[in-house]
Amino acid sequence: MNKINGEIYMQNKEQKELLVRLGEAQNKFGYLSEKVMIELAESLDMSISDVYGVATFYSFFSIRPQGRNIIRICKSVPCFLKNSQVIIETVEKEIGIKPGETTPNGKFSFHLTNCIGVCDKAPAMMINSEVYIDLTPNKISQILKAHK
Amino acid sequence: MEQIALTINDRQLSASSGMTILEVAKENSIDIPALCYRQELSPIGACRICVVEVERSETLVGSCHTPIAQGMVIHTHSKKVLQVRKTMVELLLASHCGNCFMCDKANICELRSIATDLEVGLPRFQVKKRYYPVEDASPFIVRDLTKCILCRRCVSACNEIKKEKVFGIAYRGFDSKVVVDFDQPIDKDVCRDCDVCISFCPTGALSKHGEIGEEKKGEPLIISG
Amino acid sequence: MAQQRIVLRNCGVIDPMQISTYLDRDGFKALKKALAGVTQEQIIDEIKLSGLRGRGGAGFPCGLKWELAGKAQVDEKYVICNADEGEIGTFKDRYILERDPFTLIEAMAIAGYAIGAKRGYIYLRAEYHCLLDLLKNAIGQAKEGGFLDQFDIDIREGAGAYICGEESALMDSIEGKRGEVRYRPPFPPSRGLWGKPTIINNVETLMNIPQIIFNGGHWFSQLGTEQSKGTKVFSVSGDVKKPGVYELVLGSRLRELVEGLALAEKVKMVQVGGATGRIIPYEMIDMPLAFESILGAGAIIVFNETRDIIDIVYRVMEFLAEECCGKCTPCREGTEVMVEILERFSRGGGLETDISLLEEVASAMMLSSLCGLGQAAPIPVVNSLQYFRSVYENRIRQN
Ligand SMILES: Cc1cc2nc3c(=O)[nH]c(=O)nc-3n(C[C@H](O)[C@H](O)[C@H](O)COP(=O)(O)O)c2cc1C
Ligand code: SF4
Ligand code: SF4
Ligand code: FES
Ligand code: FES
Repeated sequence: MNKINGEIYMQNKEQKELLVRLGEAQNKFGYLSEKVMIELAESLDMSISDVYGVATFYSFFSIRPQGRNIIRICKSVPCFLKNSQVIIETVEKEIGIKPGETTPNGKFSFHLTNCIGVCDKAPAMMINSEVYIDLTPNKISQILKAHK
Repeated sequence: MEQIALTINDRQLSASSGMTILEVAKENSIDIPALCYRQELSPIGACRICVVEVERSETLVGSCHTPIAQGMVIHTHSKKVLQVRKTMVELLLASHCGNCFMCDKANICELRSIATDLEVGLPRFQVKKRYYPVEDASPFIVRDLTKCILCRRCVSACNEIKKEKVFGIAYRGFDSKVVVDFDQPIDKDVCRDCDVCISFCPTGALSKHGEIGEEKKGEPLIISG
Repeated sequence: MAQQRIVLRNCGVIDPMQISTYLDRDGFKALKKALAGVTQEQIIDEIKLSGLRGRGGAGFPCGLKWELAGKAQVDEKYVICNADEGEIGTFKDRYILERDPFTLIEAMAIAGYAIGAKRGYIYLRAEYHCLLDLLKNAIGQAKEGGFLDQFDIDIREGAGAYICGEESALMDSIEGKRGEVRYRPPFPPSRGLWGKPTIINNVETLMNIPQIIFNGGHWFSQLGTEQSKGTKVFSVSGDVKKPGVYELVLGSRLRELVEGLALAEKVKMVQVGGATGRIIPYEMIDMPLAFESILGAGAIIVFNETRDIIDIVYRVMEFLAEECCGKCTPCREGTEVMVEILERFSRGGGLETDISLLEEVASAMMLSSLCGLGQAAPIPVVNSLQYFRSVYENRIRQN
């Protein structure tokens, strides 16, 4: 048998920094620009398509500009049982956009996400890396106001 | 090299350790279909068409990447295996563009040939088709990813045989796609005079700009159903 | 059977930011015991004797895994703690990490010594970024205390992908790649991270290790059932009055947990084990929670009588389709076909042929998918067809 599981491609140990570096760029610029990906491909000795492949695999990376604050509302079953639908609709109304969109003023991007691991305090959402639990429509406007 | 005794389809065989099930089967003229495996490449394990039944294993196993073991009892064409392969080909055809009449590679298409062998007819599943524009900007290669079955042979072939990294896999799940750079139509300088990926592609997804009809040689294939 | 705190013994008792509070509770004594004169084989034998099985879902015997990696004659080996916890309805690992990071660190150091690894990774899901500082602080204090002189622990953060909880995808992710699944064999204890022998264990599995070393494998093996030793930490959510984390001796009844502790009423069904877990109708609620019967990663989602089975199954399948890595045919195409069919049912439709198509795709996926996601994805569908078939049939008829 030839090399297993592409161990052929395993030689590049530099590549282990890729996720970390993509994460840093994502935080710094709000998205992964082509420029950033080209630089990373060069410095980690990878092809551009491989960097792009990693960047588009993970849901916390984005290849399009995002708002300053990224809202991720949990849509998985336990939150759904606790009326996450109402929370989603409230956020839609408050900031005037649908999931997948960014507000024109660049303040918020809004996504639906899968279980964020606080199902005992459902419904829940994240804004950037902050987790908000036991949500009610009333809480939403307060929470959103606190974000610039 | 240690010799391994095993049974395939009730035949007692012996082979050297380190070989895969598929290699041993081939050596003994047992034909297992494969859509991602190619002898020249390291096993990919993606298409799952090569699965076989190994006694005492809960699931079927991929024969192209599973090494043989002492005393293995294998069935390569049991009812269970054939049913699973059939469903899988039908799944592949369901999201495939489906117009074999218009395809230059119709008569050398491995997907079609395996479908015929397994007597797969028109797919009963309704899923969205993956439609992508044809990429014909390069004078050397035409990519029509609507026909791609994501076997990844082109990625491996370019990598392992040409030592280039033209292709990569991007996105996730059903949206997975073989991409060039930032998912741009292929137009790479390195792709001059090299037909490697084209020769490995099991479908009409990769081809050359050719004379009309050039690829349509061979026996006509009949798809039943 | 009863609640007993082995994994959670320090949770809520110690200060997760202060190693001194951990030391007061016999912290790092198991590691000291291990390093002072106990051989690597003896540790592994003790774990084997304990009967500890993996808590991440698959239930693989922990001692056996360690033994395989320990035997490999290679200098470079790795220990990985799987803190990706992406399973729907699971939050016990977060609960543990938040409250007692030190036991985990001690366990990883013991694992490192036992198999001969000098480096360990904690793979933390992106959604748990807020735990990063707490974990770093704990590792820093353990280093200062001299407990990590022979073993280094690094934290690697995920970036939002459920499949990275699958061990081979997790390793690819640490290597900086797409979190795609590898075929096996070779298994991680022989060729894992960067092709080197690697053991990969769930947070909760590791949490048991110091207690087993401290009290002996025999002590642990006295708890639980024939094939399921020790306790299990359950994450209970859904239609219950008291959702949360509960630690029970293995073999306890599902009813005890759902009705007795979490105070559920008018239960229609329970999904045990997360997205790919089995759906248990109320009539079967006296089932024991153990590897022999039903367990998974211990996610318990409770549904009351108002819930619609097809709605639930559809949502679960949508999740799996979104999170499938996309490498293998049956899962990539099969989840999509199932979503399409279930969506039709959830809108009140359904075709005559749909049920048999679901069953056919389910069987192909379960038999031929490359990893546990595709293999287990059809389970909720199959269960719902088993226990609630009439709901599907009614929709078809009404159409
Ligand atoms: C799709 C999928 C997701 C998984 N997610 C997790 C996870 O989030 N956490 C975990 O510990 N194990 C997860 N596992 C199981 C791991 O592959 C592996 O079996 C486990 O980490 C081994 O540790 P254990 O033996 O201590 O349970 C997952 C498996 C699959 C197939
Ligand atoms: S283009 Fe051809 S070789 Fe490449 S993945 Fe698609 S079908 Fe396979
Ligand atoms: S079963 Fe699904 S998640 Fe697992 S390897 Fe196949 S496509 Fe990827
Ligand atoms: S389902 Fe929303 S946090 Fe788990
Ligand atoms: S030929 Fe074996 S998985 Fe494709």
